[in-house]
Amino acid sequence: MNINPVLLKELKVRMRGWRAAAMIALYLLILAAVAVFIIYTTYMNPYSSTVDPQASVGSYTVLAIFQFILILFIVPALTAGAISGEREKQTLDLVLCTRLRPISIILGKLFASLSQIILLIAASLPVFSTVFLFGGISMMEILQLFGFYAVTALTIGTIGIYFSVSLKRTTAATVLTYGVVAFMTLGSIFITVLYLGMVYNMSYDKFFPLLYINPIAGFSSLLSGQFGSSANFLPGFGSANAAAKGLLEPWQVNILFDIGLSVLLAALSAYKINPVRKGIAVLWKRKK
Amino acid sequence: MLTIKNLCKKYGRNLAVNNLSLEVRPGEIYGFVGPNGAGKTTTMKIICGLLSATSGDITLDGVDVIRDYKKIKEKLGYMPDFFGVYDDLKVHEYLEFYASIYHIKGSRRSKLIDDLLELVDLTGKKEAYVDSLSRGMKQRLCLARSLVHNPGLLVLDEPASGMDPRARVEMKEILRNLKSMGKTIIISSHILPELAELCTSIGIIDKGRMVVSGSVSDILQQVYSKQVIRVKVLDKLEEAALIMREFPFVDKLNVGENTLQAGFEGGEAEMSRVLAALVNRQIPVASFSQLEGNLEDIFMKVTKGEEE
Ligand SMILES: Nc1ncnc2c1ncn2[C@@H]1O[C@H](COP(=O)(O)OP(=O)(O)OP(=O)(O)O)[C@@H](O)[C@H]1O
Ligand SMILES: [Mg+2]
Repeated sequence: MNINPVLLKELKVRMRGWRAAAMIALYLLILAAVAVFIIYTTYMNPYSSTVDPQASVGSYTVLAIFQFILILFIVPALTAGAISGEREKQTLDLVLCTRLRPISIILGKLFASLSQIILLIAASLPVFSTVFLFGGISMMEILQLFGFYAVTALTIGTIGIYFSVSLKRTTAATVLTYGVVAFMTLGSIFITVLYLGMVYNMSYDKFFPLLYINPIAGFSSLLSGQFGSSANFLPGFGSANAAAKGLLEPWQVNILFDIGLSVLLAALSAYKINPVRKGIAVLWKRKK
Repeated sequence: MLTIKNLCKKYGRNLAVNNLSLEVRPGEIYGFVGPNGAGKTTTMKIICGLLSATSGDITLDGVDVIRDYKKIKEKLGYMPDFFGVYDDLKVHEYLEFYASIYHIKGSRRSKLIDDLLELVDLTGKKEAYVDSLSRGMKQRLCLARSLVHNPGLLVLDEPASGMDPRARVEMKEILRNLKSMGKTIIISSHILPELAELCTSIGIIDKGRMVVSGSVSDILQQVYSKQVIRVKVLDKLEEAALIMREFPFVDKLNVGENTLQAGFEGGEAEMSRVLAALVNRQIPVASFSQLEGNLEDIFMKVTKGEEE
């Protein structure tokens, strides 16, 4: 079996020593504290004397949102320096002149950069499972949530890698990655509100497909689906919702979009990192 | 082994490599000499598939470098002029990483790494962090790194830059070892004497053009006599060479594709005698010139070595 050498080397460095372990421990401590706090405050409620699944649902929601926001904020910083950092440190040429394929370099770097956040999320699974013990949330739903996390992290990660390959400087790549994430999350909502406001005379229960690219929209549709409510967290996902027509749920469409975008950006990054890539025009000329 | 034909590289409108041709035969150490900005690094990066050429052809063992850059990566090892190392890796882990890229594993890998460390004299540093090595040691480590996949051709861009005199001597010793192991080496420097005792052939390049090239003894002769004539003929190259060798003041004749280049000790009278002899014996001389202009400058630069 051949594990990607770039990934293997980076994991060796990143997981060495006590830092990785300390980071996980600290993170779990915070998550557990949050969970306990929420469950505890709900039980302190004098009017409820029995086990209340509402408490575990509440803490599940808080933990889920907390972790999701963490991904949105941290993944750009983790990935945007992956390639440009090697360029700045002058180690990139040494890898590029080996037999390693460009796509292997890209994927190795991508998963190495995501390794810390993947580790944190995986380690949080037991905390989520404790919530599951209190009822109200099924294991399947927790796994669904984690799958959504993984796809979102991967997508933002490939965006970061793509800018890291395209731009010389890590700072520029980081700024642009945060910019794109901000557009996908906040920008798309803003445009939706604007569009619905002008075209549909502010009837926000209409559906607007731009929101399919929005990870927050996908995330909230996933959660509200899990709670069995058709609550509309966001404008633009109204009663004209695609799900109402028997098609895919918004979060499912969001996942499909994310996977497509990731594959596209990974392929483009592999193409761009190759210093002797053939331009389309050159390919055409050579054939003649 | 390596043939470069009419290589050009433009950065925007700046022509960094201008119609450069050279040939390196198997087992040679080819010295690539030129002042700063001459185009050495650019040429070497193109050879290694790290930069695309604007035009021209390069073949390595018959493989087209520009089209088949994937194949050639198995055959050559590259050491850049400036490079970084990964922090947080030990010396043997650093080499293990590059070995794993070439699917070298297990006991074969540990033996290879021991051998390489011995070759570059870093055996005692095997467990040290790469960060903690001195610059000279990092350069030797980088050389070892370029050897993990046992390439036939080594492209070394100023491997001794920034080293103290003793380290330079050691580096030369390592390179001689590599030559005796059958490696072909291209090595660059901006100081000619530094390469003269090591190399078998030398090419002097300035502003992207090959100024002179040939065997070391010829080049040295030409450089130090500081007068070089170049004769271009349309035909009868061999015959023309014989005629020129008859003159005692023509020295170290170099025979190119359709040019003859030689060191020359004499004045204009001697020069006209050579030309007359060639013409009298029906040699179709296309041009007859003394390498002029800034050649002297270039030689001054490459013989003394300019400070950066
Ligand atoms: N990335 C680049 N972009 C634009 N111009 C460049 C670039 N790299 C090199 N050049 C130009 O190409 C020319 C040749 O540079 P190169 O680095 O090949 O020289 P060199 O012979 O290696 O010099 P040195 O002895 O300083 O290493 C120079 O004029 C340089 O300014
Ligand atoms: Mg250089």
